[in-house]
Amino acid sequence: MRYRGAWVCALAGALGSAPSRASAQTSDSVFADGVRAYKHLEFDLAAGLLRRQLAPLEAAGAPAAKRVLGLVYLGAAELFRGRRDSAAAVFRRLVMLDPRYRPDRLVFPPEVTGLFEGVRQQTKTVTVDVPHDTTIAPGPGAFGIWVIVSSFQTVDVTLRYEDGAPFRALYSGPIGDSLKVQWDGLDAAGAPPPVNRVLLRVASRTPTGELASIVQIPLDVRLFRPDTLPWPPAPAASAFLPERAKAGPAGRALLGGVLLSGAVAALPAIVGGTDASSGPRIAVAGTIGFAGLLGYVLHRPGRPLVANARANQTLRDAWQRRVETTTAENARRRREVRVMVRAGEAIAIQPRGP
Amino acid sequence: MRGAFVLLVAALIAGELGAQALRPTGSASLVTARVRSAVPAGIDQFTGSAFLGQGALAIGRVELSVSYLQGTLNHDGGSAAGRDLVEGTLLLGVRALDWLTLEGGPHARAYTLAGSTQRWLFWELRARAATAFVGSAARGYVELWRAVVAHANVPEAFDHAQGGEVGMILRLARAPLSARVGYRIDHAVLGGGTRLETVDGVVIGVGLAWR
Repeated sequence: MRYRGAWVCALAGALGSAPSRASAQTSDSVFADGVRAYKHLEFDLAAGLLRRQLAPLEAAGAPAAKRVLGLVYLGAAELFRGRRDSAAAVFRRLVMLDPRYRPDRLVFPPEVTGLFEGVRQQTKTVTVDVPHDTTIAPGPGAFGIWVIVSSFQTVDVTLRYEDGAPFRALYSGPIGDSLKVQWDGLDAAGAPPPVNRVLLRVASRTPTGELASIVQIPLDVRLFRPDTLPWPPAPAASAFLPERAKAGPAGRALLGGVLLSGAVAALPAIVGGTDASSGPRIAVAGTIGFAGLLGYVLHRPGRPLVANARANQTLRDAWQRRVETTTAENARRRREVRVMVRAGEAIAIQPRGP
Repeated sequence: MRGAFVLLVAALIAGELGAQALRPTGSASLVTARVRSAVPAGIDQFTGSAFLGQGALAIGRVELSVSYLQGTLNHDGGSAAGRDLVEGTLLLGVRALDWLTLEGGPHARAYTLAGSTQRWLFWELRARAATAFVGSAARGYVELWRAVVAHANVPEAFDHAQGGEVGMILRLARAPLSARVGYRIDHAVLGGGTRLETVDGVVIGVGLAWR
């Protein structure tokens, strides 16, 4: 009783010396009545009010941030009511809810903070903070996982298939306060995940090696690969020039020479001048006929057309270069896999006792 | 007749003159000419060389061409005096098809004799077909003409006259120069066949075309 009375006085002094901090922690109006009763040293009333005010929040699964204030005041009230075990149980709940939480030493006296610290050291719990929805490029440090523990402990951070089989081990070892574990977005073989859903599991172990708690977060994984470019169309057959001479030009040269030569020879008869001299006329007809014959030889069917072959090769080379460029670009795009990771709600799993 | 020709040409060239570039061409040729006059009294035949200059100006499908030929012909028998031969044409034509050109206009010819000059004037219609037959390097052409009207200071009445030329033009690749070889012949009949005038020869020349 003397212990209680002394700390009531100390508490009253502390509350009076730091009203602003106290008011800052009681800003949540949900717990306003309970906190007010606590400040008026009406700890029984405060404990009752705070339990009533916490009950609906816990039933509704309210976020930790909305409950921690009520829990720390409830723990302190229980402590000052002389119910140390109840206070420790409340603080244990608080540590499980938010391992990072620490009571404000300017608001709560050392009795409260000391009890809380003791409970925190004994309680091995862990929380995991991951991006809710993100897209990563696979590689070192692509996906960061913050593991926050209540006190020094050993954790195993693994990714698992939905059936629990191991997918990728990320970390196994001690953590004092928090640790950023990184996943490169790939499976153990270094390939993109072959499944659409994996489980992030953080198992906390006691110093003796027994499982203390497990936090599991489902991760929906989706792969995105950029579209590859279509192959450049091969040059149309009509774009190629003939590489061998056809019969047309040769025949045209031969026929043209014959017809023109014949026309020269027959011209006097056509115009009626049959008395024309024949020597020069035959010479011209022969020259033209020879030109036609020469044209036939030069354009003979099947003759290789070097200029056309060169032009066609240039066309093929240009297409081949486009194919190579497209191949390289597609290979680059295939390597550019993006992984969209969407985290679900964390689930705390309590291991079965022996 | 001349009026009908002018109307025909005007109809063909209508609408062709707008916004077209001028394409001048020219050529110089050596002609080995032979003139043969057959009259009841006998046959006179002269041969010699002549210079032939030709030029044309084309715009669109319309073409205006002129030619001038001058040379000296010697009597084959060696007894008669030589004749100076002068000849000229002025033709307006239209390229009806890519390979076919129709032309018309006056064609004058004069033999300068020792005592007098024999003058001929033909109003001709010409058709010229030309197309390449050895690749694009050698182009063959056939030209035929017929006089629709003629005047000559000879005693015989004009009956008919016609002629033609066949040859080929060799073009040098990527150069405006061309070489030409051809054979030409004109044949005029007067006095119901009592007088026959034939002029023929080989044409060898070079040409220049501005494109």
